[in-house]
Amino acid sequence: MKKVALLLALLLLGLQGLFAQTRDISGTVTSSEDKSPIPGVSVVVKGSTLGTITDMNGTFSLKVPGNAQTLMFSFVGMNSLEVPIGSQVRFDILMYPATFGVDEVVVTAMGIKREKREITYQTQKVDQEELVKIAPTRVASALAGKVAGLQINVQDNGVNPSTQILLRGLRSITGNNSALIVIDGSIASQGAFDALNPSDIADISVLKGATAAALYGSNAGNGAILVSTKTGQKGQKFTVGLNAAYTAEMVAYMPDFQSEYGTGWEGAYDAVENTNWGPRFDGTLRQIGPTFPEGYGLATQMVPYAPVKDNALHFFETGDTYNNTVYLSGSTENSSYYMSVGDQRTDGIVPDDTYQRNTFRVNASKKMGKVELSVSTTFFTDKTDVVGSSIGDQDRPLYWFILNTSANIPLSTYKDWQNPLSYGYADNYYNAYYQNPYWAIGTNRNIDESNRFIGNLNLTWDILDWLSFTARGGMNNVWGNGKNWRAAQTYNADLQPSAGAVSSFVEDSEYQTKTYTGDGLFTANFKFLEDFSLKSILGGTVYATDYRGSTLRANNLSIPGFYDISNGTGELDGSVDEELKRYFGFYGDFTLGYRNFLFLNFSGRNDWTSTLAKGNNSYFYPAVGLSFVLTDAIEALKNNEILSFAKITGSNSTVYNDLSPYRINEKYYQATGFPFGSINGFYLDGSAVDANITKEKINTSEVGLNLGFFDSRMWLDASWFKTITSDLITNTTPSRASGATGFLTNIGELEGTGIELTLGGSVFKTKDFQWDISANYTSNKTVVNEIYEGLDEVAVTTTGQYGIYAVVGEEFPQIKANVYQRDPQGRIVVDPVSGHPLTESALANLGSTIPDYIVGLNSRISYKGVSVAATFDYRTGHKYFEQGSEQMEFTGRSLASVSANRQDFVIPNSVIETSPGVYVENKNIPVANGRQSYWTDVYNDVKSNYVKDATALKLRELAVSYELPANLINKTPLKKVSLGFIGRNLFTWLPADNHFSDPEFNNNNDNRIGIGGYFQSPPTKSMGFSLNVEF
Amino acid sequence: MKNIIKYFTLLLVIISLASCEDFLDVNIDPNNPVTVTPDLVLPTAQLYTAQVIKNDRRLNTLGNMFMYNWSTSDGFSWYTDEYKYNVTSSFYQGIFNDTYSGALKQYQILDQLDSTYSCYKAIGKIMKAYHFQLLVDTYGDIPYFEALQRSGEATPAYDDAKLIYEDLILQLTAAIKLIDDNRSNKVPGADDIMFGGDMDSWKQFANSVKLRILVRQSSMSGRDGYIKEQLNIIAQEGSGFITEDASVNPGYVAQQDKQSPFWEAYGKDASGTIQMNNNATCASDYIINYLKATKDPRIDRIYEKPSTDHLGVPQGLLDYDTPVVDQYMPALVSNLGPGLLKSASMDAVIYTLAECYLNQAEARQRGLITTGDDAKTLYQKGIEASFNYLGATGAEGYYLQNVDLVGWDASPNKIKAIITQKWIATNGITAEQSWFDYNRTKFPANLPVSMQGSTPDRPVRLAYPSGEFSSNGDNVPAQPNVFTEKIFWAK
Repeated sequence: MKKVALLLALLLLGLQGLFAQTRDISGTVTSSEDKSPIPGVSVVVKGSTLGTITDMNGTFSLKVPGNAQTLMFSFVGMNSLEVPIGSQVRFDILMYPATFGVDEVVVTAMGIKREKREITYQTQKVDQEELVKIAPTRVASALAGKVAGLQINVQDNGVNPSTQILLRGLRSITGNNSALIVIDGSIASQGAFDALNPSDIADISVLKGATAAALYGSNAGNGAILVSTKTGQKGQKFTVGLNAAYTAEMVAYMPDFQSEYGTGWEGAYDAVENTNWGPRFDGTLRQIGPTFPEGYGLATQMVPYAPVKDNALHFFETGDTYNNTVYLSGSTENSSYYMSVGDQRTDGIVPDDTYQRNTFRVNASKKMGKVELSVSTTFFTDKTDVVGSSIGDQDRPLYWFILNTSANIPLSTYKDWQNPLSYGYADNYYNAYYQNPYWAIGTNRNIDESNRFIGNLNLTWDILDWLSFTARGGMNNVWGNGKNWRAAQTYNADLQPSAGAVSSFVEDSEYQTKTYTGDGLFTANFKFLEDFSLKSILGGTVYATDYRGSTLRANNLSIPGFYDISNGTGELDGSVDEELKRYFGFYGDFTLGYRNFLFLNFSGRNDWTSTLAKGNNSYFYPAVGLSFVLTDAIEALKNNEILSFAKITGSNSTVYNDLSPYRINEKYYQATGFPFGSINGFYLDGSAVDANITKEKINTSEVGLNLGFFDSRMWLDASWFKTITSDLITNTTPSRASGATGFLTNIGELEGTGIELTLGGSVFKTKDFQWDISANYTSNKTVVNEIYEGLDEVAVTTTGQYGIYAVVGEEFPQIKANVYQRDPQGRIVVDPVSGHPLTESALANLGSTIPDYIVGLNSRISYKGVSVAATFDYRTGHKYFEQGSEQMEFTGRSLASVSANRQDFVIPNSVIETSPGVYVENKNIPVANGRQSYWTDVYNDVKSNYVKDATALKLRELAVSYELPANLINKTPLKKVSLGFIGRNLFTWLPADNHFSDPEFNNNNDNRIGIGGYFQSPPTKSMGFSLNVEF
Repeated sequence: MKNIIKYFTLLLVIISLASCEDFLDVNIDPNNPVTVTPDLVLPTAQLYTAQVIKNDRRLNTLGNMFMYNWSTSDGFSWYTDEYKYNVTSSFYQGIFNDTYSGALKQYQILDQLDSTYSCYKAIGKIMKAYHFQLLVDTYGDIPYFEALQRSGEATPAYDDAKLIYEDLILQLTAAIKLIDDNRSNKVPGADDIMFGGDMDSWKQFANSVKLRILVRQSSMSGRDGYIKEQLNIIAQEGSGFITEDASVNPGYVAQQDKQSPFWEAYGKDASGTIQMNNNATCASDYIINYLKATKDPRIDRIYEKPSTDHLGVPQGLLDYDTPVVDQYMPALVSNLGPGLLKSASMDAVIYTLAECYLNQAEARQRGLITTGDDAKTLYQKGIEASFNYLGATGAEGYYLQNVDLVGWDASPNKIKAIITQKWIATNGITAEQSWFDYNRTKFPANLPVSMQGSTPDRPVRLAYPSGEFSSNGDNVPAQPNVFTEKIFWAK
């Protein structure tokens, strides 16, 4: 390192004194669009470090050496310009807005800005306009379909939904695969990302691979999403604005239900059953629910034995979201500021589910001579009040109770659950086994409040023309508390003999995470020997995070309706958890440029982490890359009318994934139930740990191509990558006979490959009409190359009948399930007595749960002030375990359950094995118990019946907006008024065999991808209006 | 300006100061210990032992299902795989999985202790033998010699069931010697939630486990010599067999996670609410008829007597409403009785005194033991112990009846009487023992099969769990035919 510094110093000395005589030049820079002056334009003498920026009025003046030949003008969002100096002293320059892509400035790792031509890997920028066109409440959901290589999984449709952010698929079997989030230069978290008010975001830069993010060390493996929040633009007058939006949310589609059979069991009518195994509907008036005694005050309920259309659908309401932000921003010569207050209020589709949140942001910067100080701070607070998730004596989610309502039940008439003389009252409710969902909503609540403060301080000191220093300090503190309670319910044993009484509890939780980050870095940029440039970064970083969380739970409360720990009987349950993690690292990054068309980049970082054993906790991340701008380098390609820009890149990097804290030792835990008085008991952790556990290694190679056509009105970005992850930190599944349930060790190898394409531009462009379109294509797959000797699969999660696995030679994550036994011709083998299909004892590999490819399509058509913008997203080639259907087969409401008319039937195309290997077609042995138990016990036990094609085409966003023309408002104090219609997920197309839910829904935000649909309510769509006014 | 620079220089200094190793020295888990003493390992192990026997859908439930003791009342879709004898790799896999990575994992820690903890080590060995026998009886060949090594052997080999059986006897002998040789003051006390640290009781229990192992092999031909020799070693040792039910009780109480496991599974929850299992689970028709026919006073203790008199449900019944609608509603059928469901704080019995007497009676009857009480006395003591446990009265009046399989003298086939009485004595308590004996002797005779069963008789073993095929595929034997491939002692 020292040698490099010495070399740099020598080079610098050589650069001094190249210039002797000087002269003064000056001018103004204006925008071609509105002829307004552009402040902040960089004006530099080509081949030197000499330069200035334009002031508030777009003017500049500069002393230039006598031999200076060319002036270079550059500004974010504008095409750069080179102007010969000659003998001119006055320069009035018109700058044209940059068309897409090529000359844009890219925010790279550590917040360093680079010209796109310089960077040796793939990034993609998403700007404000793209993010907020449908006034989203979460940034992540607004990224779906817009970035090649990015897969956004919106995992539920709750009032406070969670999202999984995957860049280029998965690289780790049990480790974290979510992209790193960086906000205003400081490492943040997905929680901080979700807490952002989308209106506050200036732009997002997506660093797609490990190479792009290599400077972030152990966090780099999954790529990074760099968020820049808004700041007052230089020269911007004081502006006050309002973003207001209202959206209504409604169920998009329900599972496909049968409507031929109703309440009953084994073909017989039963007035109190949750299941639909009764006789065929006949329209006669029949009793439902208990028989009430004489003088009870309520007549025994009678309803027609006929399906109630959409009875489950009508349980859900139309949700409302009001999302308003007031902001003000502006700047003076040396300072700028942006402030905002956001307010979101949501009523969900589940009755009484509410969510509200407020965001406050203050961003400011001030320049004092060569030092610029800036702060970005945000405070976030929210409150979620939703129905509890462990309802009834079986601790089920709400959707369970809705789905366990038979087809002939008028569910939405049971709202009056508190009235002892209503059919919704617990003792009177029709269903003997599962409670009234309206009762569930009133007696089970889960309330969470969270707060987050994020502060970033940034100091930039331009020490010399070529040398600057940046220091950053960031803090990301989140704290919150929750209260989860359930009321007790007992039953009149005469009316509800089968009901299980429900016990009460109250659970209080609190948590806090404090994260501090610090960075210090020098950047030095030189030009030397005419044709060469060197941009270098040297820096250090430190990170510390400290989590503490506690819960206290009291059971069997004494006073009904009083939810305090003091109200519990028996012992309190409780736990406290703490976790600390720290690391620090040093890094360097050097980009050597030749004639502005060839760039060679080297970077390296060394980290020391707290989570591995001393002596084994240091690791080095190298990266190398090359960028070559063909259109500038090859004479024949210069100034080509069609191909205006062409660049190829290649890069390779190695990064490492860290271990979580405290995992290098096997530990003991207090066993459930203990202490019993003075007797305490501990158990040894189920998971054994490899004594030599170490970090996991990710090596990424990438080549890319960036083309611009027709003066870059159209562009194409293409890339291919290959990622090899080795020494995977994996909790393998040993034989249970080893005494361990898991074994944490480094195993095997994953290989990921993928292609990303983005094609876009302005298809039509006239004075009033413009059609911009951008399509992106992502295909990636991760294959397990090896696990270890003697082991060819690892379960990420499994029930024994189905699960998510890593299987050697197969794509990861792989869904496995038990399957029918089939003869060599593929016919189902059935039992010669019962006619029931036989199943294989081993689970079969049924496919990957991440898409083979994703296509995103973004289109915007604008005519004068009106524009229509849409985002489509298509995913296919992956599988999904429809857990909702699987769990609900028992209720007899599935289409499958009526596919054979509830009779014993011969399974089509089935065979009997008469002697080993000899199969005879089964023509006459029907399945026994086809009326019911074949479906509930046999069909339901073959879990491959529920592995479905997860293909989905979604119209994720549709926005129609109208901006009032200037001549209408120029006599008012208004600067801008725009109105819009917005729609989200207005259209979803699913394959015919997917009967249940959105295949994007998932039970867990981790690598257990592809199991969902039972804990989440049905998918929704929303539509509404937006308004943006600026003063 | 200068101040700002100063502050940032300071920040840089802090960053570099932070670079010393102390900054990273935060990887010690504040929440969970890395080592604990044996007195914290033992009670957990014993609690797990009780759970493997008593929890919902573990060994006792399995025995009650296969031995036609239990059925289901109307309105519940319970025990469907059990009634179909749908013994697949996912059927009751908790027995295999939880024994190894629960109880045995803990006892292995004790077995690895040095001589400072001889008593704990001995308990570890005895309880390992207790559990391994149950595993062999359920699965046949299992991982044994290479098992429980955790990271040392992730894929332990399967060992021959008979070799395991022989080693269990050696381990039990070694355990008794460890107790006798103990010079340490590190003896368990209240943390031993089976015998309160009484090491003489442990020796008796070790001998009783040996007895169970040996009697199980007594139907094999050519095994008598070995069994006699081993029973003689027990006699020489002199501690004898258990004199009370061997049971686990850490101080079970009616609180969340602290209830006696059988009560938790089939009685009430901590809030006093009746569990669904309680309503769902009831007597079979056959057992009710049998107990009535033999005038067995235990009927009212094993099964709850509805006001409309005892009623059992045919196992595996599909159509509950023919000929009479709602005839088998929970209130009308015999659910589990007060002799089984005593209270939230009841002992979790893992080896009943009744069974121990009946094991001795069988050994005596077969001439494997030739001293002490005669077979008849042991048989009657067994029945008395069963009455005592259940809280029934009139044992003598019962076993003096001139009824086959009840009265000793009235029973021409003594072994058949012993095994049949064991069936009743373990009903709802350790019913798996009765299933093992059935596989060995086919007693009780004429026991019906479930109406949903498609085989002439019940399974003789369980299938290996699916996890073994995915994580120990090179070692696990091919899935046996669970109806025909008997455990070695039943062949």
